[in-house]
Amino acid sequence: MSEFIPVREKKDDGVAIRVENITKRFKVYLDKGVYLKERVLFKNRNRYEERNVLRGISFEVKKGEAIGLIGENGCGKSTTLKLLSRIMYPDSGKIEINGRVSALIELGAGFHPDMSGRENIYTNAAIFGLSKGEIDRRLQTIIDFSELGDYIDNPVRTYSSGMYMRLAFSVAINVDADVLLIDEILAVGDMAFQAKCFNKLREIKNRGTTIVIVSHSLAQIEQICERSYWISEGKIREQGAPRDVHPLYMDYMSHKGQGIDGGAKTDVSAETLAPASAEAMEQPAPETPVEPVQPEAKKRWGSGEATMQSVQVLDRDGNERTNFAPNEPITVRIAYTAQRMLPDSVVGIAIYKSDQTFMYGTNSLIDTSQPVKLQRQGTIDLVIDSLPVANGCYTIDLALHRPDGFNFDFWREICTINIAGKVNPPGLIYLPHLWEFH
Amino acid sequence: MIEQIKEIYCYREMIWMLVRRDLRGRYKASALGFLWTFLNPLLQLGVYTIVFSIIMRAGIEKYYLFLFVALIPWMFFATSIQGGATCILTQKDMVAKIHFPRQVLPIAHVTASFVNMLLCFIVVLLVCAFGLGLELVLLPLLIPVMLTEYLLALGLCFVVAGVTVYFRDLEHITGIFVMLWQFLTPVMYSVEQVPEQLRDVFMLNPMTPVISCYRDILYYRQAPQMNNLVLSIGFGLLFLVIGWFLFDHLQKHFAEEL
Repeated sequence: MSEFIPVREKKDDGVAIRVENITKRFKVYLDKGVYLKERVLFKNRNRYEERNVLRGISFEVKKGEAIGLIGENGCGKSTTLKLLSRIMYPDSGKIEINGRVSALIELGAGFHPDMSGRENIYTNAAIFGLSKGEIDRRLQTIIDFSELGDYIDNPVRTYSSGMYMRLAFSVAINVDADVLLIDEILAVGDMAFQAKCFNKLREIKNRGTTIVIVSHSLAQIEQICERSYWISEGKIREQGAPRDVHPLYMDYMSHKGQGIDGGAKTDVSAETLAPASAEAMEQPAPETPVEPVQPEAKKRWGSGEATMQSVQVLDRDGNERTNFAPNEPITVRIAYTAQRMLPDSVVGIAIYKSDQTFMYGTNSLIDTSQPVKLQRQGTIDLVIDSLPVANGCYTIDLALHRPDGFNFDFWREICTINIAGKVNPPGLIYLPHLWEFH
Repeated sequence: MIEQIKEIYCYREMIWMLVRRDLRGRYKASALGFLWTFLNPLLQLGVYTIVFSIIMRAGIEKYYLFLFVALIPWMFFATSIQGGATCILTQKDMVAKIHFPRQVLPIAHVTASFVNMLLCFIVVLLVCAFGLGLELVLLPLLIPVMLTEYLLALGLCFVVAGVTVYFRDLEHITGIFVMLWQFLTPVMYSVEQVPEQLRDVFMLNPMTPVISCYRDILYYRQAPQMNNLVLSIGFGLLFLVIGWFLFDHLQKHFAEEL
């Protein structure tokens, strides 16, 4: 039995969340009798399996940091979040959280359909542990953020699902928690409201709120988190910068998908491209935090059905170069070979600044809405009119993949370009411009 | 434990919210609405008056009042325990999905029943004033009596609320148990009617002094025997401590059980 209850300590060493080797076991009842009669008469109804959902997870999150938990369904990431939010308690191990916790796990829990939006703000915020005065002070901010306007005094049952979620999100995000736990809920409302939610998340993060996100959307995590933890079978399998962890995860998932399909069996090239999976399986129980993935460890992965043989960056005269002015055209030339003709393929590119800021990404499917056909051998040119960005060093990722994201060949930081303009104004981009004085 | 009490204090708004919702929800959608809170005890009194002064003569003067001043407090106690058995189960969506101190639910349930009793007491006091006359000096003594009863009710509510989550039969067992307890408590009869040799055992029932005190103050209009109440306060604190720790232990797996 658990003697370890989550404690809230005032000790301020900059750590907001400290998780030490937590484990959790669930009894999965095959058919549970809750009444005495059922328990006595049908003894076999009480048969259950014990499932170890978490087998020793440890991590630390500093104040103001954001981390993402990723993994397959049932890997234990949502359970971890439930333990952090203290809906459940670990069987062993220790969780320390400094400050007030707000969980965006079940949005709108406790909403009463017959009460107005305004009344529901009060009840819902009360469930988050706010006092009347605290709610009064936040009321206007919450209403403004929800964009419900005059609808706020209508009963919640008359709301569309989008309005409902907007109201729920507005309450939860305005609790002013020190630690915010989010489970797969950023699919709130329309695109505009989603963007607003994201900006709000960044804003409260900058104010020093610690954020833990569970999501299947790796892109969302990349946008906001400094670190990702890939949880697999109740343990942390990899951890590090999202850009380092996510490719490993995606690679694993694409191989797994193939295994289930029983489809085209990968050959040796896949094994050589993906050496990490086998080793990762052998990881010891992380009593000490796992070493982050080395950035150099893995820059290329994929099934190898198609491979990039060479990549060149060319100027307008067709000469290979690495230094460009922001207004110069750039051509990226990929020479590839494929094991067989691949009619259903996509070519993608991503450009990162040296500080890992994601500058731009696109692929042939986005641009043409059609898959491209890869021959057994060929070249692809991507012609970029100009790269109007601030001076600095930029790296390029290239990928040949299927429309569903299954990678034939993903090559990270395959080439580097230096942008050196005559002037160097501050900011991320270089806008072509002109001053006119009259 | 102090941390937990602090946290529950932070959730006081939630407790009040649940109490308000409970009180309003009781007579929701009925035409007379909240008025039923007062009508209900009045009509009950009417029934007792008819039954016990016309049909079944009890041999106690103004038996309907004798019964009424004990029955309203008893009903608070009974609903606290009976409803307490299900107070976690009825909120299972919330318990399984969001965090809040689980103690909030039993506290809110008992408090709502308590507030309901206080509202009924408006009727009780009015009826007593007309039927028997009130001894105003004695009325402040109702406060410690009510608080003792609250203590007892809350402690037991913690126990049944926690255990019922794992053992659903307790809900029905509680119903029978509360009925038995009512007959073992001098609600419908007076302590004097209990055989002499059994009376010592009888006084061990923590509800006996509580109900006797109510009746002393309101019906007999005499100073209650407060020394008996001390025993009840002791029981109340004991129940509360046991209930608290048992509940705290049980609540850790609520989310998985529901």
